[in-house]
Amino acid sequence: MTVTRRILTLTVNGETREVLVWPYQTLLEVLREELGLTGTKEGCGSGDCGCCTVLLDDQPVTSCLVLALQAAGRRVRTIEGLASGDHLDPLQEAFAQHGALQCGFCIPGAIVMARALLNENPHPTDEEIRWWLAGNLCRCTGYTKWVEAIRAVSAADQGGSPATGGERQ
Amino acid sequence: MTLATPVIGERIERAEARDKVTGRALYPADLRLPGMLHAKLLRSPHAHARIRAIRVERALALPGVRCVLTAADIPNLEREPATRARAVLALDRVRFQGQPVAAVAADDVHTAEEALELIEVDYEVLPAAIDPREAMRDGAPLVRAGTVTMENAEAQAHATIATGEIHEGGDRPTNIATRVHFRRGDVAAGFAAADVVIEKTYRVGHVHQGYLEPRAAIAHWDRPDHLTVYVSAQGQFFLRSELAAILGLAESQVTVVPLEIGGGFGAKIQPIIEPITALLARKTGRPVKLVQTRREELIAATPAPETIIELKTGARRDGRLTALQARVIMDSGCFPGGPLNVACLLIGGLYRFENLEIEGIEVLTHKPSQAAYRAPGAPHGTFAIESQMDALARALGLDRMEFRLRNCSEAGDPMPNGQPWPPNGMRRVLEVMADHPIWKEHRPAPGRGIGCAVGGWLGGIQPASATVRMNPDGSFTVITGAVDLTGTNTAFRQIAAEVLGVPAAAVTVRTADSDSAPYAGMSAGSKIVYTVGSAVKAAAEDARRQILEIASRELEAAPGDLEIANGRVSVRGAPERYVTLARIGQESTRFGGRYEPVFGRGSITVTHQSPGFSGQIAEVAVDPETGRVTILRYVCVQDVGKAINPTLVEGQMQGGSAQGIGIALSEELVYDAEGRLQNPSLLDYRLMTAIDLPPIETVIVEVPSPYGPFGAKGAGEPPIVPGPAALANAIRDAIGCDLTDLPMTPEKIVAALQSQPSTAPRPI
Repeated sequence: MTVTRRILTLTVNGETREVLVWPYQTLLEVLREELGLTGTKEGCGSGDCGCCTVLLDDQPVTSCLVLALQAAGRRVRTIEGLASGDHLDPLQEAFAQHGALQCGFCIPGAIVMARALLNENPHPTDEEIRWWLAGNLCRCTGYTKWVEAIRAVSAADQGGSPATGGERQ
Repeated sequence: MTLATPVIGERIERAEARDKVTGRALYPADLRLPGMLHAKLLRSPHAHARIRAIRVERALALPGVRCVLTAADIPNLEREPATRARAVLALDRVRFQGQPVAAVAADDVHTAEEALELIEVDYEVLPAAIDPREAMRDGAPLVRAGTVTMENAEAQAHATIATGEIHEGGDRPTNIATRVHFRRGDVAAGFAAADVVIEKTYRVGHVHQGYLEPRAAIAHWDRPDHLTVYVSAQGQFFLRSELAAILGLAESQVTVVPLEIGGGFGAKIQPIIEPITALLARKTGRPVKLVQTRREELIAATPAPETIIELKTGARRDGRLTALQARVIMDSGCFPGGPLNVACLLIGGLYRFENLEIEGIEVLTHKPSQAAYRAPGAPHGTFAIESQMDALARALGLDRMEFRLRNCSEAGDPMPNGQPWPPNGMRRVLEVMADHPIWKEHRPAPGRGIGCAVGGWLGGIQPASATVRMNPDGSFTVITGAVDLTGTNTAFRQIAAEVLGVPAAAVTVRTADSDSAPYAGMSAGSKIVYTVGSAVKAAAEDARRQILEIASRELEAAPGDLEIANGRVSVRGAPERYVTLARIGQESTRFGGRYEPVFGRGSITVTHQSPGFSGQIAEVAVDPETGRVTILRYVCVQDVGKAINPTLVEGQMQGGSAQGIGIALSEELVYDAEGRLQNPSLLDYRLMTAIDLPPIETVIVEVPSPYGPFGAKGAGEPPIVPGPAALANAIRDAIGCDLTDLPMTPEKIVAALQSQPSTAPRPI
């Protein structure tokens, strides 16, 4: 049987896109190589590091483990789709302001995962934040400032001021 | 000098933060050049084998394959290359599992991968030397033929230190690459005078630097005799020199463009993948991209050496140390260059030992060659000495912190190599730790424990240069050749702004490529703010002098009477007499402008080191049934001289602590007896996750360096150093067992508890 490319239609960051893909191509590869959305990173290719996290119909997935054709007819949101124009997602603002990034390679995946968390649970405890982000490896920060950044967004959403000092349990 | 807008010490946002949170930041894997091909490497499944034959015809016949290279296609490849980078492809013999034996360039990555399966390699598998102690024995399978010459430009780059007596190779063929000795006083007499002697063997396994971005490079011959490479690397100049030497080119024929780097930690210094990528690009006449997989990264990159430390120390009842004897065995994999001296110096140098004898042995094995990993050698040596300091204090019934304070080396005290300690903040760090509430208020409880350790990094030094250019709108551009790993460009922005008297926003910092950047050393050894920062400061001072000179002509006032504030140069005490920076920018650049362009130049060399020390306190709970360690609280105290930007410094402290904790508790590359890696995935090679770690509390200590800009010292390396010892000491405190073999996995903890003599007090 000859393997042929197929037309994949999906919605990426609110836009309908049509691309020719091989059946073996992952969603990650198609986003990066065919659609030019290189903000989503490949850190391991086996779902262990979380660098490639995107939202598929609002659910976080490691896009290296999703075949592109599995995304047919579905909605994908990547790091490039979180900001609207110059207006960054509050999580993007908070990661920048709290110094919650260093080399930055894991950050797109981490911010997308944090977005999924706050969409489902706008006011997580620090423990819940850590559990949600446990699949997003970061080698630079030690995660402390991630938690502070996410907590700050959650607190601002409450109309309160970001907690400082120790973590909330 | 009046500083109207002080920015040193401010928590300004990282310069490139917005590029990184939006996904705009460009790493080499993100870049695509017109006509670009994709490369893959065929790697040896064996740790040691002779290559009898390689057949590539079937691979070449696959549609979409543009080029297949083997060692036979590379002229002048050495049979016994001195460095890993020069072993571009294996010639006749492979020395570690994963060593590249052939390379393919194809239209897409899938075709390249398919082609690898069509290459036939006929191997004669040979016995391999894997365990370092076995590898030292006579008759062990040899990693290299002939004598070994150590090339350690990289090791020198990290920490400029005088070595001990070096004895290389010898006459008989051996896997021992280097032996060093450090001696002082009379060790036998020292032990005879001791009331307590502790002797233990410590081991730190091979660990991977764990950067999240796998190595990636793009090579492009943009002219027939000129190569441009786009890299994720820690230093464009070092990489250019190495690449030019390997390819037989003049440095002027190579341009290295550093893009964003997704973590390096010492591993992204040597050109491991760039040479073969360049050769594929030359052969095909097309740009070629090579991106490693995580599996390749774990199997065949350049991790940190396994280190075995046999350590014996003695002390008197009054708390005085009497003697230290150590043997350090460092497994450097298949090429020499491990940080043996650093480990030895720290073992014998942190505390005052009148009598000491340290032997260091670097041994080669059939494993991947090793590279620097954040404070190379320091966590290893520190784990041993700081575990043993606790053991001595316990045996003597002395307070652990007090015992350290009583014996810690001071400025001027000799290190094992005789070199005096430069002024440093070790004592101050210990004092701050001793005073920390978590330490002071800890109360013993079953299964809980607290531990501390201190560790340091001597600090790298190197010449550096930088320029500060004034733009027509009165803003400034700082240009350096330093790759920004840790936020150094943000620190440069603050340094330049502070000197110039402008807000940080008026300064942009650019890392230029190897053609256009002022010279700077690689980003390694915790020396970028210390050295390049000094050059930026000098360049900004030069620019400031030029601005004041121009303004003095404009305002008819002496330069010494002028000040820069609020975007203006004005006469001190007469604020109505001013000229704006924007006007100076205009008048020094426009057609027919009256003044010279403001172009500050800073060119310095720093010849004094400023060691940085970090002390860490870990409070743990240990489950005796499962051996699971939970870190309840963790504190990192660190002397950084001056925190140019506390947020960035805290990030270094927290990230370094996390890596130290990983070495302590979960990370090790595990090889079988044939040298095959048993855990080549991030599921099995466990980096610390968000749920493994507690919040890491940071306490910044500032004992100013006499040499660094505004008193700053290197901040990157020290925080990885003391963690393993602090955790071992905390676990000892919790369960009464000494853990001397890293990582301290649950299995090892349960085994230690089970082998504990039943007569010993068990606090659980």
